Amino acid sequence: MQQQTKRSLLVLDGVSKVWPGVRALQDVRLELFPGEIHALIGENGAGKSTLLKILFGVHIADSGTLHINEQHVKLTSPAEAISHGISMVHQELSLVPQLSAVQNIVLGRERSVAGFIDWSAARKVALAALAKLDFTANPHVPIRRLSVGQQQLVELARALAVDAKVIIMDEPTASLSSHESEKLFAILKELRNSGHSILYVSHRLAEVLDLADRATVLRDGNLIGTVLRGPNLTEKSLVRMMVGRGLEDQANPPNVDPGEIMLRVERISRRGAFKDVSFQLRRGEIVGVAGMVGAGRTEVARGIVGADTLDAGKIFVREKEVNFASPADSVKIGIAFLTEDRKHQGLALRMSLAKNITLPNPPSKFGFIDRSQQNDLAKANLAKASSKTPAERLAGKLSGGNQQKVVLAKWLLTNSEIFIFDEPTRGIDVGAKAEIYALMRQLADDGAAILMISSELPELMRMSDRVLVMREGRQVAEIPRIEATEERIVAYATGGAT
Amino acid sequence: MKNSDLTSVANDPDLATAAKRGKLKRLIAEWPQLGIVAALIVTVLVFTAIDPAFFSGYNFINIFLQSSVTAILAMAEAIVIITAGIDLSIGSAVALTAVVVGLLLKAGYPIPIAMFGSLLAGATAGLLNGIIITTTRITPFVVTLGTMSIFSGLALIISNGQTVYGLPPHFSDLLAGSIGRLPIPVVIALCVLAITWVVIRTTKLGEYLIAIGGAREVARLAGIRVALYTAAAYVISSALASVAAMITVARLSAADPIIGSDLLLPAVAAAVMGGADLMGGEGSMLGAVIGALLIATLQAGLTFLNVQAFYQQVAIGLVIILALLFNRLQKSRA
Repeated sequence: MQQQTKRSLLVLDGVSKVWPGVRALQDVRLELFPGEIHALIGENGAGKSTLLKILFGVHIADSGTLHINEQHVKLTSPAEAISHGISMVHQELSLVPQLSAVQNIVLGRERSVAGFIDWSAARKVALAALAKLDFTANPHVPIRRLSVGQQQLVELARALAVDAKVIIMDEPTASLSSHESEKLFAILKELRNSGHSILYVSHRLAEVLDLADRATVLRDGNLIGTVLRGPNLTEKSLVRMMVGRGLEDQANPPNVDPGEIMLRVERISRRGAFKDVSFQLRRGEIVGVAGMVGAGRTEVARGIVGADTLDAGKIFVREKEVNFASPADSVKIGIAFLTEDRKHQGLALRMSLAKNITLPNPPSKFGFIDRSQQNDLAKANLAKASSKTPAERLAGKLSGGNQQKVVLAKWLLTNSEIFIFDEPTRGIDVGAKAEIYALMRQLADDGAAILMISSELPELMRMSDRVLVMREGRQVAEIPRIEATEERIVAYATGGAT
Repeated sequence: MKNSDLTSVANDPDLATAAKRGKLKRLIAEWPQLGIVAALIVTVLVFTAIDPAFFSGYNFINIFLQSSVTAILAMAEAIVIITAGIDLSIGSAVALTAVVVGLLLKAGYPIPIAMFGSLLAGATAGLLNGIIITTTRITPFVVTLGTMSIFSGLALIISNGQTVYGLPPHFSDLLAGSIGRLPIPVVIALCVLAITWVVIRTTKLGEYLIAIGGAREVARLAGIRVALYTAAAYVISSALASVAAMITVARLSAADPIIGSDLLLPAVAAAVMGGADLMGGEGSMLGAVIGALLIATLQAGLTFLNVQAFYQQVAIGLVIILALLFNRLQKSRA
């Protein structure tokens, strides 16, 4: 309350940013006061990361202004942001693996005499910052030899070591243990009390409620509102603001009569990625997998198809136990994995559609590829995937939606019956989305079993017969379609409902 | 409680005398130059076993002398490789700067001016590499492949395709003579080693080159001027090419415009054998020098044993691959 009388430390106003085909931010305003912890929340893709990166000079906004201490400032590089007293803890680790903890902490701001780094000063600063955290590893060996949790602490120490006025934290607790998190929260509160201003992004609403003096909510690149700590800052109000109302998408009729069990996984685990995941997938069914980025959803899919090895658990296909050493084994048995990253993992962009589609098993005669049969097969399967693109086209020339159809055509040719879609409509425009949805439904109706990983709640609600929710590598809920609401899914995914 | 552990580690990084032996063992096992040093020792031992006369002070000084130019170029290459780049134009830069120093000397300029001119030509060539690489974002491999041709063309143009003879004998005395029994090229190579070692280990420049090569985006986010430092690596590389060129000119008393063509491969091979990682972020000056020594030892030993030059090439190639294989096995085990 009293903050309103304080002078603001930093004001971003009217910020907009458009990526090709996507409006990431529209007319967003953000104000930071000295001595506050300000939470920034929103669903995946709401524009949080873009906003943070604009504030740190990594991206440049299309429009909008930034004032620091009432001075108009233009940031065009991280170096400028740092010189204005802004530091950032990045979501992905931003450390140089070959350098030690000490070297990483002072990187870019080493004190030096005639170019020679003053290592004793560096050590002092770095070790003081590390001492505030529970850092127990050797600070002098290359950090690639440290555990991810310890590396995360180094990352935090980096931000603490520069006495920055504004500290931006993009999900700093994502890979910390609860003990390490507690320690961090205590430090953040201390920093706030000494006048620092902290912009804090987290998917964990409990953390936000515990820490934040104010919370700003973004949805689809728009500012929904800022809530002051008090009776209005509750889990319910935040979830409602994040999800919004008006579910305009009409749901597909649920599949009332699922068939035999096609895929069953029993307590599968992979260290550092996910633990004790169990579910089954029936013929004719679409099962959605919800969760925030980093919840371990893609990792589960990779574990199932044999792209990553499992540490524990069993997988049954048509009730027969299987053991996949590599994706080649799971392909042979009829599991198709349509990856999120079509451009790097799904298609050879410089090859024609025909070559792409027949890539798993090109038709050949006496060892020579039979081009005419290759073309016929490609055409037939493109038609099945309702694509009208000529088979001679290069895959790289296609739009996202059409590329997805080509990937699908490829897997149709392998006679797969179990399909795992990872973010099937990412980067695909609205019209093509509807076509992909129809195709998936058709596949299920024709007897395929489909697992769909998605970060888009409307898509999950619309397509899934059941929704599995994952959080931090654990399967936290399985919600039947009739009971699934966006609020409920978000509550499970963020740890609000336990 | 845990803080006390931390401060004790901080005050004495080499504590834990109890585990000291195990630590020493591990240090040796993880020492990145273990493979190359072992290869060098084995090579010397094999030649000595075949002919004990190989093991002589005269022979070793000769090997040091033969390896000095390769060693300087290998260090130059290692500096660029640390940034995740490569400098294919280094041999051509040697030819260009050799011709520059030769022509300046022949035109009667004093030796210091001629040397400065050659260094300036080298630095300019490196700056050209650096500017093209950092502004166009074309990969260093392709850019330096292009400038390789440009520099060797320039060397032929300004020399008219002729070897420059008739240089002042003082120049040869200065750079190709010897102090006592120690040849001056070896002294220069050792100086370059000392300077580059200090630069890489203790200065901002060195630290930033490693950071850029190890994780370019991270370096950028840390506020490092990535383009400036990347370009600096190429300037250093070509300036060192000029140092190597002047030694070569002094030893031959002539500046040959096609001198650089067989210098590139040994330089890259020595740098990589010595621990420079083509993916960036790692590289050792001492390792590069030992790499150059290994190549020179092989050449000297095989010549000593009267092995035909054609077979020598095959043998050197095999040893290079073996040394790299050892590096790789050692790394994957760690």
